Amino acid sequence: MDDNELDEVVNEFIVESHENLDDLDRALVLLEHDNDPNVVARIFRTIHTIKGTSGFLGFSTLESVSHVGENLLSKLRDRELMISTEITSGLLAMVDAIREILQTVSTSGDEAGLAYPALVERLTELAVAPTAGVEPEAAPAPATFTPLTEIAETTPDVGEVPKPQGEDRPPASETLRVDVSLLDDLMNLVGELVLARNQILQFVQPQGDPAFNATSQRLNLITTELQAGVMKTRMQPIENVWNKFPRVVRDLTINCGKQARLEMEGKHTELDKTLLEAIKDPLTHLVRNAVDHGLESPANRLASGKSTEGLVRLSAYHEGGQVIVEISDDGAGIDADKLRRKAIQKGLLTSEEAHSRSDREMLNVIFLPGFSTAEAVSNISGRGVGMDVVRTNIEGIGGSVEVQTVLGAGTTFRVKIPLTLAIVPALVVSVGQDRYAIPQVSLIELVRLDAHQSPEGATVIGGIEWVQGLPVHRLRGQLLPLVFLRDVFENDLYDGVIDSEPRESFNIVVVQADDHQFGLVVDDISDTAEIVVKPLGRLLKSADTFAGATIMGDGRVALILDVMGIANRIGITTSERRGSRAATGVDVTDVSGTWRRLLLFSLGDRHLGLPLEAVARLEEFSPADIEMSGHRAVVQYRGEIMHLIDLGDELGMPSSRVEGQPMQVVVYTDANSSVGLVVDQIFDIVEEHLDVTETADSHGIAGTAVIHGQVTDVIAVKQILRSAVPAIFATASEVAA
Amino acid sequence: MKILIVDDSRTMRLVLRRMLAQLGHDDVVEAAHGGEGLERMTDDLPELALVDWNMPVMGGLDFIKAVREQRAYDRVKLMIVTSESSPRIVYEALKAGADEYAMKPITGDIMDDKMQLLGLS
Repeated sequence: MDDNELDEVVNEFIVESHENLDDLDRALVLLEHDNDPNVVARIFRTIHTIKGTSGFLGFSTLESVSHVGENLLSKLRDRELMISTEITSGLLAMVDAIREILQTVSTSGDEAGLAYPALVERLTELAVAPTAGVEPEAAPAPATFTPLTEIAETTPDVGEVPKPQGEDRPPASETLRVDVSLLDDLMNLVGELVLARNQILQFVQPQGDPAFNATSQRLNLITTELQAGVMKTRMQPIENVWNKFPRVVRDLTINCGKQARLEMEGKHTELDKTLLEAIKDPLTHLVRNAVDHGLESPANRLASGKSTEGLVRLSAYHEGGQVIVEISDDGAGIDADKLRRKAIQKGLLTSEEAHSRSDREMLNVIFLPGFSTAEAVSNISGRGVGMDVVRTNIEGIGGSVEVQTVLGAGTTFRVKIPLTLAIVPALVVSVGQDRYAIPQVSLIELVRLDAHQSPEGATVIGGIEWVQGLPVHRLRGQLLPLVFLRDVFENDLYDGVIDSEPRESFNIVVVQADDHQFGLVVDDISDTAEIVVKPLGRLLKSADTFAGATIMGDGRVALILDVMGIANRIGITTSERRGSRAATGVDVTDVSGTWRRLLLFSLGDRHLGLPLEAVARLEEFSPADIEMSGHRAVVQYRGEIMHLIDLGDELGMPSSRVEGQPMQVVVYTDANSSVGLVVDQIFDIVEEHLDVTETADSHGIAGTAVIHGQVTDVIAVKQILRSAVPAIFATASEVAA
Repeated sequence: MKILIVDDSRTMRLVLRRMLAQLGHDDVVEAAHGGEGLERMTDDLPELALVDWNMPVMGGLDFIKAVREQRAYDRVKLMIVTSESSPRIVYEALKAGADEYAMKPITGDIMDDKMQLLGLS
């Protein structure tokens, strides 16, 4: 083989070995819990292959390390040795050493300078140690770790051996390995194509050339499918990152003498590969934190009436075009008073500042640079990465992180991440002649304000009040600070009168920056659009109010607003939290996970709620839009025909809707079909700890809860859809809504 | 001559493929385990199979037994290529119907010799 060929073989060896090693961490931790012969065989085979190949390629250090490991593993396989914490730790150290060698080989081309005499000796001793016949359970280890409980997955058997990755993959001939940079290029090209498509669609006229219109329509459909297809090639399950957490938690529990169980839910949730890479370190840090700072020692847990084994729970799911990852523990929770003392002591806040903040607001102090809550900074969670870095990293990819805690019951970190970076859904607004895009991630809701003409002929906006010289709007009993977008870019401040052309209304875009909500006042709201994010030019890079630029359908440029940057620039530092939770005093996550977002609406005099994750959009249709197909009401919606279901009819509740008035519709999307649920009045979106009472006897109702002191029926969306439009939803699997 | 490589390591398959190319054999098909190897046997009709011992799903021993059960493959030569060195495994392989046994790491020269022994070069 010449040098090029050899390089190719070595590269293949490094890539393949890394893949196998990732699986190995998990398998070893599993093995410690349950000495399953299949798992031993799998581990043995991986090390065996590495040993064999490294001999081939002349990596003698690697060969010697894997050789002693293989020896030890063969004794485990033949039941000459019983697995123990020492053996597992030794094998894990071997995996680390192999990784280190591979890393060196991939950067420098050889393994020069690396030697592991101590490790080789340790593994050799382990292989001859007379532990045979000694029950490992005889001496209880100070710390235990239950590797994995899978919830809501198809394998109910706790600790069941997961199939080795390689075995359920398609055969070698049906898969293809592609460089990620090639996929990046493809993604960029698709982005350009989306822009060109949007521009072409501008030329489509209802009365125009039918051939052109039909072709444009085809182009539109194909582009959408292509975009989805290319995005799919970049998607990977979050499992790829989670896989290493059992090992992380195991090592930690042993190091800090705790006991922990790790649960995972939704591990098949998919994310763009780039994003997955980006959240790897922040998530690892949060998991370490949960064990090191979140969970109490077994003795303290017993003292507070808990079981000695703590629980760390990971869950991932899709909600409103984002991926939500939650990391929760059932530990001691975060003590706000402790945070106050610490923040004052560290000089991060003055005494007045600390005491004027609510407990909730104090929680965010943990994200400040230079803050650490552990009594003694351990070398475990520390590692030079603070929570401030976690937050910076997550925000760097357009995500956000929030924390909730219940003293004595646990802490939950909620990380929201966009599905992909290159193409984001955004709301297009305008101020004067300029248009801006606001990423949907930061959007909460839209509010319209009526305006009237003053006697002097200027426009006066109603619904705006002044608190200490600053404009606010009273929204559902809470004060919302307002920012006039035109002021952000021009320096003449709003004085209650707008002297541009007369208009009837203004719009408030309610956005969320960090823990604070504020309203951006804009002239017009155009529409939502899928925008392709383009980086700003060098000269505008330092403008923190913009996150980038995009090209609109008509070819003009719109700037993408950075809501966080605007908040910083305006100096919004205090705001009331969302009314609902502050008012009811429920402002914490129940770690058992019954905390949901609900859309509240009415039917006649009944109050109803439905889970927000089922909702795609809220729309209003005028009666003129509604057509009949067979005996069903349908509307034309986004180029397709959408069925309308009258929820009142379906649930047997009288509606108080007035004939001829616009109808409020909740659009629900499942796979590729959309359905509109017609309701009377949409009220609000609340985040609630749901205490649902089952009322199984009534059709379409999942249960009843008390929300804001009001009895509210929570509806079972899927059940209703299956009975109302079986043709579309009959096959959808039942998920209790 | 068409040659089948059955090995679960992509690296190993690449190494063997390169080695065979040096010896002038470009017509090579691959399989990641015995089960896939059996499919390749049916579809590609190789004259020689280089078979690893320790593989997931179906290992080398079971693969050899399965091939030798079918009369149609009587003339196909089977060579075990493995880093397993115990006499017991060599014996088991030959008893099951393997024609040759090569130890990893194997060099091009040895491969050439073994193929000549099988009357293939």
